Amino acid sequence: MIQLKNIARYYKRGLQKSWVLRDISIHIQPGEFVTIMGPSGAGKTTLLNIIGMLDQPNAGEYMFMDEPVHRFNERRRNELHKHHIGFVFQAYHLIDDLTVYENIETPLLYRGIKGKERKSMVADVLDRFNIVAKKDLFPDQLSGGQQQLVGIARAIVGKPQLLLADEPTGNLHSKQGKEIMDLFKELNDDGITIIQVTHSEENAHYGKRKIELLDGFVRKNELIKKEVG
Amino acid sequence: MIEHAIKLALRNFMRHKNSFFINLSGLSTGLACTLLIFLWVRDELRVDKIFENDDRLFQVMEHQDYSDGILTTNSTPGPLGMSLEEEIPEIELAATYLYPASYNLQVGEEKLRAVGTYAGKNYFKIFDYPLMTGSAVDILAGANNIAISETLAGSLFGSVEEAMGQSIEYEGSDIYSVSGVFKDLPSNSTQQFDFLLPYEPFYQENIEWMSNWESNFPNTAIRLKKGAQAAVVNGKIKDFIKGKAENSRVSLFLQSYSGRYLYGRYQNGKQVGGRIEYVWLFSLIALFILLIACINFMNLSTARASRRAKEVGVKKTIGAGKKALVIQFLSESIILSFLSLLIAVGLAGLALPQFNLITAKEIELHFDPGMIGVLVAISLITGIIAGSYPAFYLSSFRPISVLKGTLRSSMGELWVRRGLVVFQFALSFILIVAVVIVYKQIQFIQDQGPGYDKEQLVYFNRDGRLEEQSTAFFTKAKTMDGVQNISSIGHNLVGQQNNTRGVEWDGKDPEMTLLFENVRINYDLLETIGVEFKEGRSFSRSFGRDSSAVIFNEKAVEIMGMKDPIGQRVRIHGEEKEIIGVVKDFHFQSFRQEINPLFFQLSPENSWFMMASLEKGKEKKGLENLKSLYEEFNPGFAFDFEFLDEQYARQYAAEQRVASLSRYFAGFAILISCLGLFGLSVFTAERRKKEIGIRKVLGASVTQILSLLTKEFAQIVLWSILIGFPIAYVLSKNWLDRFVYRIDLAIWFFVLTAVLMILIAVVTVSSQAFQAARVDPKKYLRSE
Repeated sequence: MIQLKNIARYYKRGLQKSWVLRDISIHIQPGEFVTIMGPSGAGKTTLLNIIGMLDQPNAGEYMFMDEPVHRFNERRRNELHKHHIGFVFQAYHLIDDLTVYENIETPLLYRGIKGKERKSMVADVLDRFNIVAKKDLFPDQLSGGQQQLVGIARAIVGKPQLLLADEPTGNLHSKQGKEIMDLFKELNDDGITIIQVTHSEENAHYGKRKIELLDGFVRKNELIKKEVG
Repeated sequence: MIEHAIKLALRNFMRHKNSFFINLSGLSTGLACTLLIFLWVRDELRVDKIFENDDRLFQVMEHQDYSDGILTTNSTPGPLGMSLEEEIPEIELAATYLYPASYNLQVGEEKLRAVGTYAGKNYFKIFDYPLMTGSAVDILAGANNIAISETLAGSLFGSVEEAMGQSIEYEGSDIYSVSGVFKDLPSNSTQQFDFLLPYEPFYQENIEWMSNWESNFPNTAIRLKKGAQAAVVNGKIKDFIKGKAENSRVSLFLQSYSGRYLYGRYQNGKQVGGRIEYVWLFSLIALFILLIACINFMNLSTARASRRAKEVGVKKTIGAGKKALVIQFLSESIILSFLSLLIAVGLAGLALPQFNLITAKEIELHFDPGMIGVLVAISLITGIIAGSYPAFYLSSFRPISVLKGTLRSSMGELWVRRGLVVFQFALSFILIVAVVIVYKQIQFIQDQGPGYDKEQLVYFNRDGRLEEQSTAFFTKAKTMDGVQNISSIGHNLVGQQNNTRGVEWDGKDPEMTLLFENVRINYDLLETIGVEFKEGRSFSRSFGRDSSAVIFNEKAVEIMGMKDPIGQRVRIHGEEKEIIGVVKDFHFQSFRQEINPLFFQLSPENSWFMMASLEKGKEKKGLENLKSLYEEFNPGFAFDFEFLDEQYARQYAAEQRVASLSRYFAGFAILISCLGLFGLSVFTAERRKKEIGIRKVLGASVTQILSLLTKEFAQIVLWSILIGFPIAYVLSKNWLDRFVYRIDLAIWFFVLTAVLMILIAVVTVSSQAFQAARVDPKKYLRSE
């Protein structure tokens, strides 16, 4: 599904280049649940943003579903992105002015889905996540866990093939975190490819593969052994 | 999508009530001003465009060629209309008509004064004012016909139906019978009268002087045949008068009848604009005000950008394209501008009575489809202009930097924002300077005075028995309380009325042609109006031969090149006259023109205005006494008087209207600019609270912080003054140059305006700055 080849990304700081990603080559198959780990500044979020097409590499090739993203212009990237990718953030990033219902509905609006269908899609997700009762509340009336639930609902309402999550439980306490991770597991079992960035070893174990970054290089890329019992 | 955008917009307004109200009040005030100006402009453009054959109606105009330049006038010889109709095949109809004046009318015991004049029999065929009874063909055909207005018919006979065929006594002598009733003339007709008498009989009665091709008195209007070219006719009539009178220096041309109102100013034979300039000026002001309001919106939206940046970032990560976001932000501003339109229509409706008073118009708000179309177009354009910059600015945010919180407003954006405010205030500066200068010039004209005591001067017609018994009237009036002096004159001393080029003196270049204003007066007139003598004496009964004496003004003496004028002789219309005095120059024309040469002759019989000077402080008493004396001489006549200064001020009515209108609009422009500045200062204070907190911890005093915050805005205003100054200077110089007598363009007008602007700006921002300067540092440092 995703093929990264020699991806590099730097930022110019004055005359100096500050390298974030130096040489990343990764393949991710459909249905995988990959965790990206590494210390602060290792380039995890940048890599995630590049995969999510929010950021562009300075060098290297990026094939997404066999399409050469690195050759696309912004409009085509946007097309690809809005039909296939969902995003979940550490700080939830719900739109304050919109209700739960409207937040979840927004991506469908941008895809141009008709009113009736949109309604049923949102209703499905609300139902599935058990938040029907909260649909008319605004984000600031919800707890952090609930907000993240809405964030995930918004990310998957359009049935994307790929879900990207940047420290999805970073702002939550452990019980809420566990619930969110269980939800991810469930979504992955349903067939969505998930890539998450996390600091937590425990969360990493929900996934099937772990990629560790250090100073812009891939340090480890290994399958996670499931402990029995 | 649109529904979603509307919902979001409304919710956004509710969340950010401050900027919403600033934007709403700014835009609605701006739109209200624009709406009023639009109504005014539309009304101006429609003046006199009320006749069916508008494109074929023309006024016959004259260029009169003199040594000191070409004078353009609509006064024409009495027989011109009739001759044109006969001799020029392209001319279908011609009508001659005189200037309306106020006359006494009487029906039985009912007496009143009404404004009327003489008009040719084709008048109602050319000017198709709707008739209620009678027909356009013969309404003015009979020698004793009178056409009256609906209102006049009502006041004299009770109703239109009863008026037909009834008799009206005119000026206590002639009897006319009502041959038709016309609807009251619309206010956008430049001709205004209550009744019309047939011109042709009047012409026959006065044929001796009316038939003279070298004297110019009535107006002539014509209607061309269908398909006739005005240019062709112009060629044919150019030397028409020269063909009738060998010595004539007049060439004729046609001016579109309805175009005359807007393009009425001629300078040395060239059309140089007229009221159309004010139409342009106010259209420009409307545009400026609207732009200022739009800039407020742009500034506040971009200043608030950081608050909305997150929304943009999130939307982009969940798939919003740039286009979708631009549409969202644009619909927000368009919704706001339509909301403002609703308020603006209300405001304009409220302001309309006052506006009509200032502009002397009768404008009404009608929502016909055309009007609605214009309103919708204006709001749509306003919304798009106001929303364009914020929309493209906000939608161009890069989601990752926004979501990471690393978005900083770049210097570029800051400059754009500042540039916009500079632009706003430069416009305001120019408007204020313009208002100050127009005001000063008008005041100058009025304070300067014409050179005689116009304030206590009142004049009225020498009608009825006053003519034969004027000596008795004078003797009685002079003894009355409140009346200082009284005499009579053939000229009300305002504007050019009676001029001649028949003045000859020794050493005059035979080629020289010059117009002298000819003022016929009675004894005591010069004393009554109080003109100052430079040398010599006034007319006096103690000199028997004063009927062959003449008094010139300084200008005339200067032009004639006389060193020692007293006692010298000149010929006026061939008659020898002796110069007995020279008066100092005084203004009888508009300040736009130079003082022209003028002479006074003694001619009591031709001085048909009574002119009285009233005692200061006793004007009311004096007027009452004059009124009762007048009624004693003329029982049944209405005493209709006019103060000379009012008549005098009327020459500047257009300027005065423009002055007071521009005063209001400049006021609104600065108000809207300040609203924007206020909004921006609220935002800046908010944004810099943390910085202020840190500065306070480091020991800054309230005053220091206050000056820090105010300085930024003061600088912006200073820049706008620097930019506005040269533009304002050139514009005001241009305007003042039209006046021959004008104020100096003193630097202090600009300095004063600048100081005023800075003051207003500082007051506007200081309340916010003061609040910010008093923040409790702990509170704002902790929140990070």
